[in-house]
Amino acid sequence: MDIFSILVSKTIVYAIPLLLGALAGMYSERSGIINIALEGIMIFGSLFSALFLTRGIMTSTLGQTHPQFVIFLAIIVAGVSGGLFSLLLGFAAIKLKANQVISGTALNIFAPSFAILLAYAMISQGISSIRLPRGIVMNAAFFGIDASTLPSWLNIMVFSNLYLTTPISILILIISFFVLYKTKFGLRLRSCGEHPQAADSVGINVVRMRYIGVLISGILAGIGGFAFAMANGSNHEPDVLGYGFLALAVMIFGNWKPFKILVGALFFSLFKTIAVFAATLQFLPTFGLTKVDNLYKTLPYIITLIVLAFTSKKSRAPKAEGIPYDPGQR
Amino acid sequence: MFKIFGSSSAVNKKKQKDKEYAFLASVISILVGLLIAILLLFLLEFAKAESDYSKPLIGMRNYFTYSFTSATTFSKIFYNAAPLMLTGLAVGFAFKAGLFNIGATGQYTFGAFFALIAAILWQFPWWAALLVSIVAGAFWGVIPGIFKAFFNINEVITSIMLNWAGLYLVNLLFYNLPKIHTVLPNRTDNLAFTNPKAILPDFGLNQIFNTSFINIGIIIAIIVAVIIYIVLEKTVFGFEIKSCGLNKNASIYAGIKAKRTIILTMLISGGLAGLGGGIVYLAGTVQYTIESSLLSMGFSGIPVALLAYSHPLAIIATSVFIGFLESSGSGLQGLYSYEMTGVILSVIIYFSAFALIVSHFIKKVLKRKGQSDGDQGDGPVIEAVKPETDKPKEQLETKGVVG
Repeated sequence: MDIFSILVSKTIVYAIPLLLGALAGMYSERSGIINIALEGIMIFGSLFSALFLTRGIMTSTLGQTHPQFVIFLAIIVAGVSGGLFSLLLGFAAIKLKANQVISGTALNIFAPSFAILLAYAMISQGISSIRLPRGIVMNAAFFGIDASTLPSWLNIMVFSNLYLTTPISILILIISFFVLYKTKFGLRLRSCGEHPQAADSVGINVVRMRYIGVLISGILAGIGGFAFAMANGSNHEPDVLGYGFLALAVMIFGNWKPFKILVGALFFSLFKTIAVFAATLQFLPTFGLTKVDNLYKTLPYIITLIVLAFTSKKSRAPKAEGIPYDPGQR
Repeated sequence: MFKIFGSSSAVNKKKQKDKEYAFLASVISILVGLLIAILLLFLLEFAKAESDYSKPLIGMRNYFTYSFTSATTFSKIFYNAAPLMLTGLAVGFAFKAGLFNIGATGQYTFGAFFALIAAILWQFPWWAALLVSIVAGAFWGVIPGIFKAFFNINEVITSIMLNWAGLYLVNLLFYNLPKIHTVLPNRTDNLAFTNPKAILPDFGLNQIFNTSFINIGIIIAIIVAVIIYIVLEKTVFGFEIKSCGLNKNASIYAGIKAKRTIILTMLISGGLAGLGGGIVYLAGTVQYTIESSLLSMGFSGIPVALLAYSHPLAIIATSVFIGFLESSGSGLQGLYSYEMTGVILSVIIYFSAFALIVSHFIKKVLKRKGQSDGDQGDGPVIEAVKPETDKPKEQLETKGVVG
């Protein structure tokens, strides 16, 4: 029973960076900017928040008495660094009307290289792994619950991998839904991604909306990077292992809609977790192969491809995404 | 190095002018990239506990001289350039059809591994193993093409998925073909012992220069680049590809089978990337090891193609340039790190994304300035630009090629 609890809890904790990344992509693409730089922005967020946490703040009195508050500060650091980095994409894509995929690719190449250079400079030449503080899980005691009164499977499922990023991203998901569909701002943002000229004709500042879209995207992706760092354990290499690209896939999988993105993120994360635990899950067939976990690792990607093939008819990308805004065009 | 850019036989004059802009834009991007790299080194020095501001300058000096210190480092430029050229061609060829083949790294991995299977398990000679690598890369490349053509799924997403799926599949194959790694558990056997016939020929040059990085890979890559150029510029198929890239709907209206073109483009693109993988792993200098993250060579093809504006002959030049940067990266080891190359590359790409626009803008400004206060150029860039902008358009179009 415990193995299932671990599966569930790991699925959730790895779904969070995907969820945040995909929501980030959604904001940007709904405003009309393809954000292929998610990977780079996530690396930036994870890098600066991890560096922030290593700078002795955890051992200070504040860190000792209110560790979750320090984590909250780290989330803000991640968001701000991601947001600032994403403005580079915004500047090129909106102001200079550059090709969005190309400038996004540039950021993707920049971030991992820069992360290693900075980690070398900040820590020590040749060492890029950043030691994250341990024991920052929100355990049962944090909520004033006596863990011994709970059944062990429930304790493992809920509290073994519960970081502050989890409730915050669920909050972000709900807020995103309301912002996008129930507010004036959301309608305007979406209109800029569908038909910016029409939006402009009714007085919406397309350039400003697109900048906001990219900025929100950067903030969320930065936090997503931090969520990945938290999920990935205490020796953090400044890298997010392709999660930014996966988030893009999850976003398309979720059809640019918040709750469908959540489903996509959980689905993807579940298969990824199964692949990680493939060696310990006895009931999975091995097909007579050695190291069969490699086969299970391909599953999330191949299943996503198949699902995309079947749902592509219904898939609707924002119409104006990828096209620089030209007021003279009809 | 960039002469090849201008000397390519131009089809019409308008194109020629665009090429001048593109050349200027690439040069501006490269200069800005290097400048920002130096600035960044100073910033990093500032972030360190004990700063030494002479280090960035020493670092940059080492960076640029490293490749010329020995025959090995010098031959490494071309050793790096060959696969870069092929992955660059893979990306650039797809760009011509309006497709972004970000999956070159997966196709490259596939090509590399199947070349090794052919060499070690099947005992193929080098040329046959290279053919196998082309087929393997093409197979992995055509899948996104099929998905794009029949299901209209963005090729970026499918090829990202296939990159990772391909990597894990190759790892799975690796573990289940024990004959390919008899010596070490996570590294393929050395070709020199298992099948010396499969190592790319070097005509004895390696022995003369006492290195191991010279082989005919670069020659093969250049030949392929020329073939791709001919296909794109001189054949109906090439015209169809470019037409699809410029306007898919108009091409369909004109009777071009867009689906077929997309699939074939991705097939060829994948084959090119696969060949790149074959050339690296048949050089006999490296063995395939179990990887947990995507191989970077496939991604390096993107800047090669972008910097060359996808022109096959220009890709020859840019791949040598980027091969030089990658080879030079090792010159920074110790002081900083190899990753500096990535930073320089990314800045170059970032600026090349809008440098074309900026260079148009510069010319426009200069033209206006030239009309208002006479001919007073005050810089090398301006001098190079001015004579053309002052001339009327008809005259400009009859003008020749950039040197």
